[in-house]
Amino acid sequence: MAISRRVFVKSGGLALVSLGLDPLFLARAAYASTRDGGSGERPILVCIFQRGAVDGLSVVIPHGDAYYYSERPRIAVPRTQVIDLDGHFGLHPALAPLKPLWDNRSLALVPAVGSPDATRSHFDAQDYMESGTPGVKLTSNGWLNRYCEHCREHEATPFRAAAFGPELPRILAGSAPALAIPDLQAFGRTGGRADGRIDNITRAFEELYAGSSTGLISSSAQEAFEAVRMLRQANPTQYTPDNGAAYPQGRFGHTMLQLAQLIKANVGLEIAFADVSGWDTHVNQGAGDGQLANRLREFGTALAAFAQDLGERMRNVVVLTMSEFGRTVRENGSGGTDHGHGTAMLVIGGAVAGGRIAGRWPGLDPQTRYDGRDVPVTTDFRDLFSEILVRHCGALDVNAVFPGFPADRARFPGVMRAV
Amino acid sequence: MRAVILISLGILTAAAPPQPPAGPGGGLVTARDSALHALNRLAYGPRPGQIDSVARTGVMRWIDAQLDASGPRNERLAEREASTPLLHLSTSDLAQRFFAAQQERRARARQGQVALADNQMMAGPDELRARALGGQLQQLAVERAVLSDQQLQEVMVDFWSNHFNVFFGKGADRFLLPDYVEHTIRPRALGKFSDLLIATAQSPAMLFYLDNWQNVRSGGWAGGEADRRIGGQGNRRAHGINENYARELLELHTLGVDGGYTQQDVIAVARIMTGWSITPPKQGGAFMFRPRAHDDGEKVVMGEHYPSGHGMDEGMRLLHWLANEPATMHHVSWQLCQRFVNDVPPDGCVDDAVAAWRRTDGDIREVLRAIFHGPDFWANANVGVKVKTPLEFVASAVRAVGAEPDSTPRLAQVVARLGEPLYLHTAPDGYPDREADWVNSGALLQRMNVAVAIAAGRLPGVDWADRRIGGSADRESSIGVELSAHTKQVIENEARDDEVFALGLALGSPDFQRR
Repeated sequence: MAISRRVFVKSGGLALVSLGLDPLFLARAAYASTRDGGSGERPILVCIFQRGAVDGLSVVIPHGDAYYYSERPRIAVPRTQVIDLDGHFGLHPALAPLKPLWDNRSLALVPAVGSPDATRSHFDAQDYMESGTPGVKLTSNGWLNRYCEHCREHEATPFRAAAFGPELPRILAGSAPALAIPDLQAFGRTGGRADGRIDNITRAFEELYAGSSTGLISSSAQEAFEAVRMLRQANPTQYTPDNGAAYPQGRFGHTMLQLAQLIKANVGLEIAFADVSGWDTHVNQGAGDGQLANRLREFGTALAAFAQDLGERMRNVVVLTMSEFGRTVRENGSGGTDHGHGTAMLVIGGAVAGGRIAGRWPGLDPQTRYDGRDVPVTTDFRDLFSEILVRHCGALDVNAVFPGFPADRARFPGVMRAV
Repeated sequence: MRAVILISLGILTAAAPPQPPAGPGGGLVTARDSALHALNRLAYGPRPGQIDSVARTGVMRWIDAQLDASGPRNERLAEREASTPLLHLSTSDLAQRFFAAQQERRARARQGQVALADNQMMAGPDELRARALGGQLQQLAVERAVLSDQQLQEVMVDFWSNHFNVFFGKGADRFLLPDYVEHTIRPRALGKFSDLLIATAQSPAMLFYLDNWQNVRSGGWAGGEADRRIGGQGNRRAHGINENYARELLELHTLGVDGGYTQQDVIAVARIMTGWSITPPKQGGAFMFRPRAHDDGEKVVMGEHYPSGHGMDEGMRLLHWLANEPATMHHVSWQLCQRFVNDVPPDGCVDDAVAAWRRTDGDIREVLRAIFHGPDFWANANVGVKVKTPLEFVASAVRAVGAEPDSTPRLAQVVARLGEPLYLHTAPDGYPDREADWVNSGALLQRMNVAVAIAAGRLPGVDWADRRIGGSADRESSIGVELSAHTKQVIENEARDDEVFALGLALGSPDFQRR
């Protein structure tokens, strides 16, 4: 199409549905084949934001560090329960489903990553991690959108960038096309009109806008109708995950399932985003069992199911988890942890340099702690994200993605196998 | 150019009844054309019959009445406001509820039966009540946009709410924002810019949003009780200046990004504003100057000397100075012209606005009058060229069909789904007002859906009890757009015998997306 690609944004999915598409249009889309000639070789990046600041020390547990146990008498996971990885680090037992990915070297762990900005405000820190500009509040767009805007190696489709949720998140806000997809269940409740007049409505609007002389409105509408057509060609069918993958109950598992569907649909998805909350464990966070363990179980099970469902397709998919900051090394008076600094992030995928701890581990010695209390940040999150954009997505230049932070391969934590 | 404008203004004030200046393109031929244009710019579009009534009154007379804004606001709206619980609660009341909801969330977490505190599905009664109040704040804005007869005032409240944006989702702003909208912005929307600037600088909502309550002299303190209660982040407090407010004050609120200031000026402004703080929310959450937190040293801002030892007066002097700096006049006038005239404001329009600002020390009413009386406002090239924001689209569609919002927050949720959740723009620059920011394929589809749903009387949140749908002539005059020949033709072809469908197509047409 000769028209310029404008922003396909903000609950576009819901709009398609109410215009008369089957509420399960995504399920149909999941079987729309061969958008890319069926090659399916486009690299895909899936970003998962753990909102609320996950306790990195409970994800990647430094069980070989005596301070871990002395500072956390009530909430440390006993050594016997930790899933050991390398004699010093281990996974939380609730993350056991991820252990096979570590073993087959498709899971890398970055245990002390975060923002150089000192803020301990959820709001500010999430804002910085999504804008990609720590300390700068006025950045209007998100770094994933800037990537889409500046790296046009791939032909864009309305589905190039998608976020699961009712509204487009900050990280995808900007001028490049991005689609917000609310939950499929919500689609069902919204309901389209089931009578045959839907075709008439769609056709009439298409005619209205085809004759509109104004540039941006006209071209955006043409794109919208193209997407409608594209999805209508898909065959409706029930989705069954492959390879016996079992997604956990709950919103996050459901989101990951839909994401797998969309990837298999080959509609041109390159950047996907989803978030999962419930990590702000100030009170009674628990140890091997408890509240945090429950959250981690759902989290790890969903990620493992996603990888299993995609199977071979994972060779070109990277899942990156992130969270705005970590939590205090020492447990607080309520059996929880307060806002800290560095945290742990996970990188999963076929091309990941897995089975290893990436980035420098500063240890838990009070002397090396940030402000004397937190895990310091030894890997700037922008170095981690840059490495994935360059080595996985094939970005030629990420300087526009992280302005004022020139990419330097020497600082890459080494989560991707060098190509 | 200037001479021409002055002459035309002279004619306007002398002639009776006044007529709008003829645009160069001559697009606004009839009195109805001019009335429609004014209703699309100073108001959220026409109500049924309003184009004719404004044309009869005389469009310039109607504009002056809107600027005056002293007439009745609308009885239905008054009833609505009277029955809106949010408006009967003080900031302390709201703070109590906020903290009760917070307690409930923490208690839930402590019990451990729920995964964690932010599990929305498990919210208790206090949390639900707190959330409902947030919905009322958004709904109130939509109700006023649809119902108020003082439309220009509502348009300007929206303008200033974005110019002086505060994000409702940031901590204490959940209970500070209602007071900000009601008592800081609304009473000053058509007043002096300097008053508005000072009021926002002293508003707890802004002081919290842009962190100035934590802006203290090096080694100073932010204030004991406030430290613990407001931030909720515990443990660590800033002991030194915080430039956040100072920077946005210069860049967004006054001078503009090219306003000629340096990083050293930002630091000096931040030092001047040290000590501008708030009392603990449970004691009312009011503005308070904390002398012990104030930096008493000498400062220099853009060559202006601020000798040491003047405490809060330094900030007052700074704000008064900023309010009438040429860069500020230009920056804010430019934004006003963008809102009322064109995404890319004509120079002449901005010049007129600046001249009025200079003449009246920043009387917003007079600045607007200069814009509305200028030739650019009426020029054919600037008629029907602004794309409606989601709020403008929804409010104008509901007004066009003569309906009104029901008493739920659902219509505000429609505005949110179209991309403009009110008071929830996170960055301090507020929602943009340019075509490229609002036109995209997903949003257009959403607007078509909303249009069809309104026409069919099925849009959640719209009360359309005595719905009447007239014929095609009636349709065009009531929805207040000049439909293109093409649009008329498509509607004629596709919906000849179906007035509901025809109305839906008209409201969802490209023509109705513009104002």
